Amino acid sequence: MIADKNIHSEAFAYFRTRATNLLFVLTEEGRIVEANAYACSLTGQDLAGRNFQDVIVDFGGRFDLTKLSIDPSKEYLMSVSNTSGLPQSFYFTFTPVSGFVLAFGRLDAEELDSMRKEVLALNQDLNNMTRELHKKNAQLERLNKEKNRFLGMAAHDLRKPIGLIITYSEFLIEESANVLDAEQFGFLNTINESSTFMKRVVDDFLDISAIEAGKLELDLQPASISDVIGKCLELNRLQADKKQISLEFRDAENIPVIQMDAAKIEQVLINLVSNAIEHSKPGSAVVIRTNTDQDMVTVSVQDFGPGIPPEDMKKIFKPFEKTGVKKTAGEKSTGLGMLITRKIIDAHKGKIWVESQVGQGTTIYFQLPLYQERQ
Amino acid sequence: MISDKVYKEYVDLLLEGKRLDCTHIVQNLLDQGVPIKTLYTDLFQKSLYHVGELWEFNRISVAKEHLATAITEGLMNLTYPLLFDSDWYEKGRKIIISCAANEYHQIGGKMVADICELNGWDSHFLGANTPVDHMLEYIQEVKPDLIGLSLSVYFNMASLKKELEAIRSNFTHLDIFIGGQAFRWGGVDMMKTYPRVEYIPTLDELETFIK
Repeated sequence: MIADKNIHSEAFAYFRTRATNLLFVLTEEGRIVEANAYACSLTGQDLAGRNFQDVIVDFGGRFDLTKLSIDPSKEYLMSVSNTSGLPQSFYFTFTPVSGFVLAFGRLDAEELDSMRKEVLALNQDLNNMTRELHKKNAQLERLNKEKNRFLGMAAHDLRKPIGLIITYSEFLIEESANVLDAEQFGFLNTINESSTFMKRVVDDFLDISAIEAGKLELDLQPASISDVIGKCLELNRLQADKKQISLEFRDAENIPVIQMDAAKIEQVLINLVSNAIEHSKPGSAVVIRTNTDQDMVTVSVQDFGPGIPPEDMKKIFKPFEKTGVKKTAGEKSTGLGMLITRKIIDAHKGKIWVESQVGQGTTIYFQLPLYQERQ
Repeated sequence: MISDKVYKEYVDLLLEGKRLDCTHIVQNLLDQGVPIKTLYTDLFQKSLYHVGELWEFNRISVAKEHLATAITEGLMNLTYPLLFDSDWYEKGRKIIISCAANEYHQIGGKMVADICELNGWDSHFLGANTPVDHMLEYIQEVKPDLIGLSLSVYFNMASLKKELEAIRSNFTHLDIFIGGQAFRWGGVDMMKTYPRVEYIPTLDELETFIK
């Protein structure tokens, strides 16, 4: 045992001024008489005169200095709020000395070291995963590009022969009505209808392939949405008449001319109106409305068909996903039309959404900005 | 090209642990079109060598050195959108880059993996502290054309030797290269006694070697 007082006082002075351990001299009631420099810098406060209980994080108010100082060799884990507001844990001992209590707090170096290692390892893992994620993403993008290129090529090569089948079957339907019997004529009609559907599939594939390849370029020009709707209704009139469905256009007044790609918006409208007709019962109506507010023009297409069940709503804009709702005359769908529609509206920085009630019908809304920068 | 002023500002911030400010500098350099390799050699590598020296000469603590390394590794993530961009494609030649068992410094190996990727290799980076068995299984699965082994701490030389022996005896004809800061203190001659093993001291020499 070193008895030299000078050594003791030097050691104590070191703990008071330099050591990164906490040192408090407390009264028996727990008031801080003195705190070392580290304690003050950790808490950012001059602690003399304060209660020790207020310096530690003591949620339950269970701090009892008399009990804690019974066994000076026993360590108690306690937390102190540091200047960043985060609690920091120390192992404290409480030693009664000459009517005072010496509170000494140490950090668990082993615990800190193990935590540092873990944090570094986690950081490495996270960074490695980020690298892997970027690489996998690049691989997927590459595969997606390949798929679109293949899709585009296949669709492009199929389009011409399908067009020829449609043309020749139409020619035969016109020219051979008196030559063929009813069954043969039925075969011819099936060829024509099926090849027309195939052409729609191929056209949708070409659209999707172009959109996914980032080739959806808009030709933004000033155009009247009312005119585009009018044109679309003319194009859908024959389909509607066949099912005895009336097409009603309720145009709001003063719809301004807006910047849009009229051909693409016409494609959107043809798809929406055509879908509405396909889901409508004969004798009902499809209603198209327009409206404007401060910065958007809203178009809605409403049918009074069977409506879409809530569980099918999320499928509407997904590729190849079809709702369980049957079309009233058994019309076929490619499963791509609504996706293409949404992509076109998105490209216009617009918005599209669906409201539907089973048994009441469905309304599809889309909004286009009144003002937008030319691309 | 990274100016001395930018480098100095960066390294000071790195030593102060100011991650967000460092991020800002790196992102600016990338936005200005500084090539990834230049960023790796003239900023990341140069600053980390400096940080390593400061630690070796007891000018900074090991905690500070670890923090600087962790920040740098996080900053490397900023390059990945460019490294693995839309023009990225699956390459034919495969390389596995790994650190020896007990070697917890992986950033050098990771830079090597990224430089290989920039030079037309499909690089598989296994990270720090790769157990020998895991490495052998991975080689069996991926069937690489080349293996790169990184060593930062000289005291882990025995682990590297063990790994080298295991690979050599299981895959006799597989080319291997070694590199890393550990070899500043020796060990190259001993490693080169193994057949088909090359020592590559710098990223520039790596580029020549893998072309």
